Amino acid sequence: MSVLIPWVLGAGVILLLVLAAIFLWLRKPAPKTVAPVVPREELAQELAPPPQQPPAPRDSGRPREPQLPATYGADRLVLLARDPHWLYAYWEISATRQEEFRATFGHEAWQASRPVLRLYDVTPGEQAPDFLEIAVQEGADNWHIHVGRPDHTFRAEFGRRLPDGRFVPLLVSNVATTPRASLSERTDEEWMWLEELYRAYLRTAAGVSSPLLVEEMARRMGVLPLAISSPPFTAAR
Amino acid sequence: MPKGYLLMVLHAHLPFVRHPEHEHFLEERWLFEAITECYLPLLKVFEGLVRDGVPFRLTVTLSPTLLSMLSDPLLQDRYVAHLGRLLELAEREVHRTCGTPFHPVALMYRELFGECYRRYCYHYQRDLIAPFRRLQEAGHLEIITTAATHGYLPLLMLQPQTVRAQIVIAVDTYRRHFGRTPPGFWLPECGYAPGLDDILKEFNLRYFFTDTHGVLFAAHRPRYNVFAPIFAPAGVAAFGRDVESSKQVWSAREGYPGDYDYREFYRDIGFDLDYEYIKPYIHPDGIRIQTGIKYYRITGPTEHKEPYVPEWACNKAAIHAGNFMFNRQHQVRYLAGIMDRPPVVVAPYDAELFGHWWFEGPRWLDFLCRKLAYDQDDLAMITASDYLAMFPCNQKTTPCASSWGNKGYHEVWLCAANDWIWRHLHWAGCRMQELARRHRGADGLLRRALNQAARELLLAQSSDWPFIMATGTAVAYAVRRFKEHIANFLRLDGEIEGGRIDEGFLGWLEHKNNVFPDLNYEVYAGG
Repeated sequence: MSVLIPWVLGAGVILLLVLAAIFLWLRKPAPKTVAPVVPREELAQELAPPPQQPPAPRDSGRPREPQLPATYGADRLVLLARDPHWLYAYWEISATRQEEFRATFGHEAWQASRPVLRLYDVTPGEQAPDFLEIAVQEGADNWHIHVGRPDHTFRAEFGRRLPDGRFVPLLVSNVATTPRASLSERTDEEWMWLEELYRAYLRTAAGVSSPLLVEEMARRMGVLPLAISSPPFTAAR
Repeated sequence: MPKGYLLMVLHAHLPFVRHPEHEHFLEERWLFEAITECYLPLLKVFEGLVRDGVPFRLTVTLSPTLLSMLSDPLLQDRYVAHLGRLLELAEREVHRTCGTPFHPVALMYRELFGECYRRYCYHYQRDLIAPFRRLQEAGHLEIITTAATHGYLPLLMLQPQTVRAQIVIAVDTYRRHFGRTPPGFWLPECGYAPGLDDILKEFNLRYFFTDTHGVLFAAHRPRYNVFAPIFAPAGVAAFGRDVESSKQVWSAREGYPGDYDYREFYRDIGFDLDYEYIKPYIHPDGIRIQTGIKYYRITGPTEHKEPYVPEWACNKAAIHAGNFMFNRQHQVRYLAGIMDRPPVVVAPYDAELFGHWWFEGPRWLDFLCRKLAYDQDDLAMITASDYLAMFPCNQKTTPCASSWGNKGYHEVWLCAANDWIWRHLHWAGCRMQELARRHRGADGLLRRALNQAARELLLAQSSDWPFIMATGTAVAYAVRRFKEHIANFLRLDGEIEGGRIDEGFLGWLEHKNNVFPDLNYEVYAGG
């Protein structure tokens, strides 16, 4: 039986390939999902990912590389912090949501409107509800966004701008915080005891005794002050 | 009392490369080469130090995928077969090079591979994990773990449960092999993001390592730079990498491995020799590959290469070990003068650097351990656990999100070459949680399908795939592996949801991608 499996699999793969070829031939060319560089708007800088080169088959004797779906039929916008200066967003909009949009704003509204990615700086303590707006390429499903703001927190919104100027939000992202890019200005210090050691010590003190634990504690006793109120370091530098 | 401490970490990891479907699979050679050139030589160094009574203390990560491969009977068989062919080639080379300046080097390889064969087959009985375990139990090594399939955790933190799964499975795998709980954790690629420490804490993992700026750029300025750990908010210690000691070993230009007397990695007889002669020892399809037999030394910044002279290289390894020690002594003496506690210098390296890229690396490490033990009193080798036992009070602050990849943040794993993977990974992560919640306590075929779906997700999450895509070597393999695991996952997801599990397909996947046999998908269901 197990001898048959590769044959069955092979036949399945060939069948799939034939069907896929027919499907691809019948299908209209898919909208390009890769965003080319577009003229800069407002504060945004965009980095367009170069088109994905389909990798050459390494070994012709092997089954074809599986194709992954371009979308999963979900509504989602994900924001990731790449480094102190850049964010990355990817998104997809379900057919249902597109239909809702058409139902609300008219059948032509989708074609007439333009996709827009909005980025809000939601750093706690920041004053103004600051945002930048990026006119992304129609059909784009991801974007690298230059923000140039280390240690700031962002949330993104994806939507469409109608010809009359109204912005219709369709997706909201998670929040993402860019990492720091320099030494912190905060020089106040807080110190902490390694909790396990502390707990183990208290357990021992409370009478729970196992030879191993006692031995372990004895080894460490020399460095574990018995009266702990403040860290043994003075503020002197 | 030494003036300071040296905390050396060797991080051993390879992605899961196991292909039962093909007799000769190129990427399995990654494992074979690492065994021959890194793991066996390193074990030899450690056991030599033990035999000679040299005190030493090192931290070693053995990744869960590496543990799985080292204990896999199929890969063990294939390694022995691989080594057999290599020995045969080395034997032929000894005769072919007779009377040429390459002859001593050919003899060296024959001896080296022969020894590998004897030790692997007879001394260790194919089990390379046991000697590591013995070294840990004897107090020479502290072995830690890393994420199950080396997932790049900062970008998976969108779904903390998938990160938790990477960690639970790692801890379970470690326990099975070492019979205890891992004391610390190697963050894959030193990739840290705030919040990871909370998950590490859940599993009693007491420390992790970050790159220099992970500690240096913490939310509150660290008092001791990177020369003492900080506690992340959850109470897990973060040790920051020392720049100086890293650069000396890592850097291809300024570092030791670029010395002209050391072995040239890129001149291999798999490429250099006549096709008909070398054909039986390269890929059966005629693809020329590295055999591991390399006759030249780096010589200089030229195309022209001179024959390798083992004695010269060995001499250089001793000199470089002495230089490394001297620099560290100098460093800790200086730091001890300005700190009110002994500094700890953290020096983490990829274990595969030692022996594979840097052929003389294990010798260097051998010399270093011996010199540290006998030639000085300023420095002592230490592990993070020992350090924390001595200094249980540390500054508390949030480390900075970072990695040890190019530019120090997440760009290597999130750039134009690989950014497309994350939409699939996050989707599959989301689906896996959904499946686990919906099918709690499943059994029979359904349970098997859910467990396999989890394996496929984990394998897709390997940081190795986006890394390879970004660096541009073996890209096709990485892309293919990624897509295959995601496609397998999606198919299982569809079959589970549709209630029609194809047992034949499932069985094939279980056979092929058999990593983590004891995995329980319910880790994705959460509390």
